[in-house]
Amino acid sequence: MSPPVMTRRSFLRTFNLAAGGLALGYFPVEVWAQKRKERTGNGEGLRPNLFVHVAPDGRVTLACHRSEMGQGVRSTIPALLADELGADMAKVTILQGDGDKRYGDQNTDGSSSIRSHFEEIRRAAATARNMLIAAAARRWKVSEQSCEARDHQVVHRPSGRKLGFGELANDAGKLPVPKPDEVQIRPNSELRRVFKPLPDVDAPAISTGAAVFGADVRLPGMLIAVIARPPAVGGGVRRYDASRALAVPGVKKVLELPRPTAPYAFQPWGGLAVLADTTWAAMRGRAALDITWDEGPNASYDSDVFRAALSAAVASPGVEHRNVGDVDAALAKAARVVEAEYHVPHLAHVPMEPPVAIARYEDGKCEVWASTQAPQEAGKEAARVLGIDEGAVRVHVTLLGGAFGRKSKADFVSEATWLAKAAGVPVRVQWTREDDLRHDYYNTVNTQRLTAALDGTGRVAAWRQRTAFPPIASVFSGARQPGAGDLQQGILDLPLDVPNVRAEACAADAHVRIGWLRSVYNIFHAFATNSFMDEIAHARDADPREVMLELYGPPRSATLAELGVKQLRNYGAKLEEHPVDVGRLRGVIERVTAMAKWNERAKNGRALGLAAHRSFLSYVAVVASAKGKPDGSIAVDEVWLAADAGTVVNPERARAQMEGAVVFGISHALYGGVTFKRGVSQQSNFHEYRLVRIGDTPARIHVELLPSTLRPGGIGEPGVPPVAPAIANAIFALTGKRLRQIPLRLERVA
Amino acid sequence: MLLARSIGATILIGGCAATGRDAKNSASVSPSASSELKDPAAFAGISDTAERSGALFLEASRVLLHPRCINCHPDGDSPYQGNLPQLHDPPVSRGPDDRGVVGMRCNSCHQDQNIELAAVPGVTNWRLAPREMAWVGKTPAAVCEQLKDPKRNGGHTLEQIVEHTTYDELVGWGWKPGAGREPVPGTQAGFGALIAEWIHTGAQCPVQEARR
Amino acid sequence: MSIRFRLNGVDRDIDADPEMPLLWALRDLLGLTGTKYGCGHALCGACTVHVDGDAVRSCVVPLRRVSGRTVTTIEGLSADGNHPLQKAWVDLAVPQCGFCQAGQIMTAAALLARIPHPNDSEIDRSMAGNLCRCGTYQRIRAAIKKAAGTTED
Repeated sequence: MSPPVMTRRSFLRTFNLAAGGLALGYFPVEVWAQKRKERTGNGEGLRPNLFVHVAPDGRVTLACHRSEMGQGVRSTIPALLADELGADMAKVTILQGDGDKRYGDQNTDGSSSIRSHFEEIRRAAATARNMLIAAAARRWKVSEQSCEARDHQVVHRPSGRKLGFGELANDAGKLPVPKPDEVQIRPNSELRRVFKPLPDVDAPAISTGAAVFGADVRLPGMLIAVIARPPAVGGGVRRYDASRALAVPGVKKVLELPRPTAPYAFQPWGGLAVLADTTWAAMRGRAALDITWDEGPNASYDSDVFRAALSAAVASPGVEHRNVGDVDAALAKAARVVEAEYHVPHLAHVPMEPPVAIARYEDGKCEVWASTQAPQEAGKEAARVLGIDEGAVRVHVTLLGGAFGRKSKADFVSEATWLAKAAGVPVRVQWTREDDLRHDYYNTVNTQRLTAALDGTGRVAAWRQRTAFPPIASVFSGARQPGAGDLQQGILDLPLDVPNVRAEACAADAHVRIGWLRSVYNIFHAFATNSFMDEIAHARDADPREVMLELYGPPRSATLAELGVKQLRNYGAKLEEHPVDVGRLRGVIERVTAMAKWNERAKNGRALGLAAHRSFLSYVAVVASAKGKPDGSIAVDEVWLAADAGTVVNPERARAQMEGAVVFGISHALYGGVTFKRGVSQQSNFHEYRLVRIGDTPARIHVELLPSTLRPGGIGEPGVPPVAPAIANAIFALTGKRLRQIPLRLERVA
Repeated sequence: MLLARSIGATILIGGCAATGRDAKNSASVSPSASSELKDPAAFAGISDTAERSGALFLEASRVLLHPRCINCHPDGDSPYQGNLPQLHDPPVSRGPDDRGVVGMRCNSCHQDQNIELAAVPGVTNWRLAPREMAWVGKTPAAVCEQLKDPKRNGGHTLEQIVEHTTYDELVGWGWKPGAGREPVPGTQAGFGALIAEWIHTGAQCPVQEARR
Repeated sequence: MSIRFRLNGVDRDIDADPEMPLLWALRDLLGLTGTKYGCGHALCGACTVHVDGDAVRSCVVPLRRVSGRTVTTIEGLSADGNHPLQKAWVDLAVPQCGFCQAGQIMTAAALLARIPHPNDSEIDRSMAGNLCRCGTYQRIRAAIKKAAGTTED
């Protein structure tokens, strides 16, 4: 099934293009600012909120207030607004929203754009719809109930009279704005385009080089900064000599950034910034700096040594977060005990676009352009750095060349802002790939010990899971103990039909900046849980699929009591609205194993591995096939993925996100891992931090989205966690070797 | 003089010096320091011409079988990188003319000089040696035979080989490989002199294996 | 130093460091931002452009190498975005974040210009240098085949 096409004509109209500037593929910021003004008008028309503007000429501007990083929000949110409003997409211009509290939450993370804001977005459009209908009803002196909005006009059903949105805009704009709870959204059946594949609004610009990413914004008088940062976080400059750097043609200034203090949050990492009129000159300038570093408190961090510490941590009891029954008693009388330790190292985001931000500070006001996932956070950080009011900062959001959680962190905006003030000119901070790999907010490092008691028939009578990792909170508050909010990702919401269950968290110090990376803690919790279920199955000489279903138990909504917890953060959602639904988990397991012909795998000579995981309120199961290559390495030659994400607003992009999540997960499984010596990442570029290339991609990735009318669940992240354990389980099926750590390397047999 | 019996093939992967084990057969020639290449005069003490010829080639093979050279003399479709060696990353393929496939030509990335900030090595005419000039995994004796065989040395005469080794830029890159890469031992002129003397002494192939 | 070359069909003459990589000349001096910086080490392919029709990694090509030559960037691949690859990319909704795609398309264009109907292994070999972190490889393969007229479905 091929998706609907954003035709060239509709594309040109949507972007209101003039031939000149775009033909060069060059989008100077002045052109951008002028076009925004043209789109949003000069105070005329209807603008009940920031999401919708209806101009008197009929042009409708719809805002996408969430950051586009490939998950398709720009193609989905405006379409949803348009459907709710009753607008004709051909007459719609899409506006990328600046950071503005009036949009509500703009933190584009947690796979939450639709699942958390589905109704809120629709209410914004419904508000405008109501006001247009009210204006028409007044003009015709009829009841509002007898009118409807569709095809960019309001129609009076009994008489067939129509008025275009543009004709009504000024009148509607004078009416009082109803409150969100006074406004009714349409029944889903009235939405025209969504729930079916939606066109990719940015594909034409991307394919011609016209799309604007962070580094593509250019300001007059701007300097480009490339920063030499202290090797280990918390370090600083002891002494430096910038004379050779300043001698590089094009280099204008060398400035020393302030040294951060723990907890690091979004503070600049520090170091020396070389500012130049071209990126090349700035890079050459940085290479010409002579710096002696003060190593700082984290310069002894060695990931091998730390791994031993994590292992020691999970060898002892931790803080209990989940308890059902009596695990110790069950272990004591077990017929058999199965135990295993798993390890997942730090992972790096490596979005194809390294972090970049531009800041201009003039007359006490600051303007920022950045590929940021969190424009309000970026604005707060800029205000903090400059010591000005948040209201004096404006953050514009460009397209993001990938993010995966990295660009939620405002540190690169912080750097640009600080330098813009210090230099007195607009500054673009350009991170190189080395900067990105060495100064990431890495996904945290984890070791888990899982212990199961098997009874005489092989059933699991007890399950104990201990997990140790430096938590994300460490970068904000110095925390060293994972909390319940962290363990809700894959440990506390793991439904087990087992009478005795305990989960414990063990402390671990952070020596690097810890952040969140596409599915976050679920990556390692799913790796351990699914590998362990597979180990239990093989210990019993049983089918892993049957054992997995037996462990999850019958279809049901797992109660808090059953889970053994007093509360569950549940990704910010109410448990009644998004229960831990074992039926849906079983559903994706059953579907994916049918897709992969699981029952015939021996007959077909396939080495298959199965994994399933609930995350961000969606359920995903994956089967991976492993095959030996002539050179002795392992290839993942085919993958099947079944996802139950509830109601899916843009199935085309959801499918693409699941395909992409599979590739993302294969990269982790086969190549992932950042290692540290003396506090410094040993991986600096793609030759050391390898990613799946086209030749490593399975010949076929099969994705099915299970049909559902339940509430929307997350899309961007849930595809990732089951991939690596499915591969590890497939490798076991192929070789008989159990790999309990990432990356999965055959010479490292556990 | 007794010739040592060869002790079985050794895969020579790194630059290496002749060890003490060979010393008793190489008369007065002591082991080389790993970054230096002996001058032909150092072999003058070997009275037997054939043996001296072989010893000269053995010394020259410390260049030929060094990673900087054999990385682009593979027998498969991919060059190697580094000292281990490992396969070239990103994955590249020989292609029909030993210069890569369309879209991934050698000179899509490798320029006419080393690009230091990007850590991409380069020199004019960067390409793979043809398959018949594969040296990875070969002994010095085997490479010697290849070098003398016009069917496997690009149809060159021995005189042309001297010219090539002494002056060719791609060969010369081995001594100026850019930051972070271990150069081949000695100098290009010194290597050319060894090859010239080897040919002058009859271009005999060594029987011994070089050891790490 | 003055470097003259033909860029997207127009003769250009720029005064710059001859060792400056073409990528930065394009982006910072000539205002063509469609070609991207992804790694600076010729490892990712985001910077791919054509020099005399050959795909090269502009992050390592010194400006002096294009003196007297023809350079084509993504902006110059077609007049209106109607190169068969660009149309296939849109038709099959290939891009996710889109950052790597200009490089992917330029490499694919060089491939199709030389091998009009590439098979799977020819595609994989030629595209091996272009990384996509979003994982759109499956669709890239399909779009190349569609543009080549060899699509399976």
